[in-house]
Amino acid sequence: MDRNKILYNIQRNEIVSIKLPNPIDLQITGINKLDIFKKKIPQTGGDCIEVKTTKALITYLNEHFTYATNFREKEVFNEFTATYPTERLAILKTVIIDGQFGVAENGSVWINDSNFPNRLIPFITEVLVLCLNSEQIVSDMHEAYIKINNDITGFGVFMSGPSKTSDIEQHLVYGAHGAKKLIVIIYHENVVE
Amino acid sequence: MTQHNQKASLFLKNAERAAWHDETLWMVRQKRDKAASDVPEWERLREQASQIKMHTLSKHYEYLTRFEEMAKNNGVQIHWASTATRLNEIVYQIIKENNASKVVKSKSMLTEECGLNPYLEKKGIEIIDTDLGERIIQLRKEPPSHIVMPAIHLSKEEISELFHNQLHSEKDNSDPTYLASIARLHLRQKFLESEVAITGVNFAVAENGAVVVCTNEGNADLGVHAAPVQIHCMGIEKVIPRMSDLAVFIRLLARSATGQSITTYTSHYLTPKPGGQMHIVIVDNGRSELLKKADYRDSLKCIRCGACMNTCPVYRRSGGHSYHYVIPGPIGSILAPHKHRNNYKDLPFASSLCGSCSNVCPVKINIHGQLYRWRQDISKESTFFHWKKSIMKIAGKILSSNTIYNLSGKVTRWSIIHLPRVIIYNRLNIWGKDRELPKVSGESFKQWYYNKYEKQGQNGQK
Amino acid sequence: MKIGLFIPCYIDQFYPIVGIATLELLHKLGLEVYYPPEQTCCGQPLANSGAEKEAIPIYKNFVRNFSNFDYVVSPSGSCVYHIRENYDLLEQTNEVRKVRQTTYELCEFIVDILKIDDLSIEYPHKVGIHQSCHGLRGLKLGNPSELIAEHYSKVHRLLEKAEGIEIINLDRNDECCGFGGTFSILQPDISAKMGKDRLEDHMRNGAEVITATDMSCLMHLEGIARRHNKEVQFVHVAEILNSNHL
Repeated sequence: MDRNKILYNIQRNEIVSIKLPNPIDLQITGINKLDIFKKKIPQTGGDCIEVKTTKALITYLNEHFTYATNFREKEVFNEFTATYPTERLAILKTVIIDGQFGVAENGSVWINDSNFPNRLIPFITEVLVLCLNSEQIVSDMHEAYIKINNDITGFGVFMSGPSKTSDIEQHLVYGAHGAKKLIVIIYHENVVE
Repeated sequence: MTQHNQKASLFLKNAERAAWHDETLWMVRQKRDKAASDVPEWERLREQASQIKMHTLSKHYEYLTRFEEMAKNNGVQIHWASTATRLNEIVYQIIKENNASKVVKSKSMLTEECGLNPYLEKKGIEIIDTDLGERIIQLRKEPPSHIVMPAIHLSKEEISELFHNQLHSEKDNSDPTYLASIARLHLRQKFLESEVAITGVNFAVAENGAVVVCTNEGNADLGVHAAPVQIHCMGIEKVIPRMSDLAVFIRLLARSATGQSITTYTSHYLTPKPGGQMHIVIVDNGRSELLKKADYRDSLKCIRCGACMNTCPVYRRSGGHSYHYVIPGPIGSILAPHKHRNNYKDLPFASSLCGSCSNVCPVKINIHGQLYRWRQDISKESTFFHWKKSIMKIAGKILSSNTIYNLSGKVTRWSIIHLPRVIIYNRLNIWGKDRELPKVSGESFKQWYYNKYEKQGQNGQK
Repeated sequence: MKIGLFIPCYIDQFYPIVGIATLELLHKLGLEVYYPPEQTCCGQPLANSGAEKEAIPIYKNFVRNFSNFDYVVSPSGSCVYHIRENYDLLEQTNEVRKVRQTTYELCEFIVDILKIDDLSIEYPHKVGIHQSCHGLRGLKLGNPSELIAEHYSKVHRLLEKAEGIEIINLDRNDECCGFGGTFSILQPDISAKMGKDRLEDHMRNGAEVITATDMSCLMHLEGIARRHNKEVQFVHVAEILNSNHL
C-alpha cells in the first residue's frame, strides 16, 4: 500500500535525467602510503606500532598482550560463535584481530565478518588490537572501495582510532561506547630475519 | 517580530553562553577548513557528490527498487512508510511481533522528525537514545539544537547536574572524561539488555543493498550487534547508486561535519546476524512531494553533515532552538517551510543571505538561493504578511518613479537632520535600537550632480 | 567606452560623497561617464524581502536608464550582484541581457576591464578591509575562506600598492557584518551582534579605517560604532581609490 503510493509519487516528477559521473580513481603514485598511514593513526587517537617480521609480531603480541583474546588463532576463533551470549562477550578486555587493509588518508582499517566470529567483538572490547600487513595499505577511499570490490560479507567496517565523543562542551573523550584504545600493529611479511 | 528573532533575542541575553556557542562552532568550521584543504581535489569531490545525488534523484524509482531487491536478496525485510505515523506504526509492529520492550536507538534525524520516541513511549516501550549528546537531551526532555552536536547548547556543569540527578553521578564533578565514563556504564547496560536496535542511515547503496552508518561513538554497532532485531530507518533520498560512490561521500562527510578525515566507525550492514533479523524502513514523509518542486528538490541532496550550521553567522549567534524545527540552521530553513509553510514562514528570513552555507555544503545545495526563493513563495501567499505586501507595493511605486523617489528622499533626509533625537530614536525605530542613523547632509548625489553638471548643460564630460 | 554610472539609492540619499568619489575616479581614468538622471534603485530591498514581483517596475526603470552604455559601473557589490543574478525575472530581451552582462562593481571594473591594479594611491592609514558578502561570494571579487582554492582578492590588489597603507589581518576574514538589508530590521538583535563582532575584530587588530565595496555594510557598522563612541573611521573603497595622484 505505502510502497505503491510512494513509488507512484516518485515517478510523477519531471526531472531531466542527469548522467552519472564515472567513479573517481585518483591513481596516486609517488607517495609513501605507509608513512602517511602511520602518521595519521595518532591523529585519530589510535596507537601505531611497527614490527619487522611476522615472527616479531607473534613475539610482540605474546609479550605485550599475553592475556588478550587472540582471534588470529583458529581455536580461539572457533570457540566463539555468531550467537555467543552477549554477557560473555561483555567481559572481553583486550582482543586481537587481523585487519584486511589500511587507508592512508584517514588512518582507518577495514575489517569484516571473516576477521571475527561475532560482530559485537570489535566494539564491546575495551582494547582492540589490529594486525596489519604493511603492504596492504591503499592511499584513499576510492582505492579502498576498489579493493573491497563489492565483497563485504554480511558486515564490514572501517575503524579509525578508538571510540570517541565531543558531546560534552566539545571536550574530546576516548572510549565513549566502543573500544577505549585502538592499537594498530604493522608487520612486514616478506622481510626475512 | 518573527518567532526566530524572539527566540534568538533570548539566546543572546546570556552573553557569555552565546559568545561561547559562536566561538566553539566557528572553531569547528575552522577544523572543517583545515581538513578540506588537506584534500587538493576537494572542490572536484563536491561537484562529483552533487552530480551523483542529482543523477540519483532523476532516477529515483530505479534506484529505490533496485536497493529493495538487493536488500531482500540479503535476507533483509523491507518496509515502506509514506508518512511519519506509518514509520512509527511499522517500527512498533516489529517491536510487538518480537515481544520486545527494550529498545536502543542511535542517531537518526528522521526518527526525530517523525516523533518516533514519544509514539513508542506512549505504548510503554523503553526507547533509549544511545548517542551521548542525544541521551543528554533525552534526559532533559528537550530537542537537539544541532544535528551533529545535539547538546552543544549545554555547559558541562549543566550536564553534571543532570547526571547527578538522573544517573547518580558525583555532585559537582563536571570533568568531561568522568561524565562520559558515567554515560558509558549506564548505556552499556542498555546495549546488553536491548531487544531491538534502531539506527538511522547515512547511505543506502542500490548496487548491493548495503546500509552505511557513520558514528564516532560506536553506539550504532553496539546496539545492532547486541540486539537480536535491528531496524534501519532511512529517508528515500538516502539511496546512492554504487559502492564506489561511497568513497566520495565518506571523504566529504566527516571533514565537513567535524573536521575529521573519517568518523571512527563507518559500518556497512548487509545481512542480519545469524539467528537475527534485519529490517529497513524506507520513509517518504513529504520527500516525494519535494522531489516534484524544481526550485527546491536540490535540498534532497543533503547528507546531514551540519557544516552549513557551523559556518552560518546567524545560527552561531542564535542557537538551534531558535529555529523551532527538528533540523535547524540554513538547511533546516529551506526544509521546514516545505513541511508547514505557516509555522515556519519566519525561517527563510532568519538569514543575511551571506552565501557561506552554499560554499561549505559538500553536495553543493544552493542554500542561499533557495532561501531567497522561499521568501518570494512565502510572501506570495496573501494570507501571510498581507500588510507587508501593501507596503511593498507602495515601496515599488516610490522606487520606480524618479519624482516620488526624490521627494521621499528629501523628506527622509530633512527629518533625520532636523527632528529632535527623542522623536527619531523612538521605539518604532528598530534600526535605532542599537545603531545610529547615518549622518546626512542636505544634498543628495543627484542634487550635487545637477548643480555641478546638468545646470551647465553637461552630462558625461569632465 | 561609454560608461553609465549607477549610484544606489542609499548612496544617493545618505552618502553622496561615495558617488562623487566614484565619478571623480572614473574621470581621472580618462572615461566618458554619463549619469542617467532618472535612475532610482536596483530593486534589491524589495526582492530580498520576498516582493520581487513588486520590484519589476524598479527593474524596468533600471534597464530603461542603462541600456545604452558599453558598461554600467556602480560602487556597490550587492546591487550589481542583484542585477546580474536576479534580473532573470524580467523577460530576457537583448536590452535586459546586455545590462546584466555589462554591469560591474567599481573594483572589478578597474581590475578586470581596465586591467589596472596600481592607481598611485596615497593612503597612510591602518585599514581593515571588510569583504562584503555579495561582492565576495556573489561577484567573486575574491576567494572566500571556505572555498578550497587559490587565494585572491581584487579589492586587496587595488589597495595593497597604496603608499603608506597598512592592511590589517582579521581573525575572521570574511564573516558577514549582519546588515542583510531588511534582515537588519527583522532580526535587529542578531544583526547588531554580528555587526558588533565584526567591529571588534577590526578594532582588536588595529584598524583605524574600515573600508568595503558596499556602503550598506559600512552604514551598519558605522551606526554601531557611533552608538558606542568608537574612534574608527568608515571610508568606502571608492574614496580610498580616489586618494590618488592620477
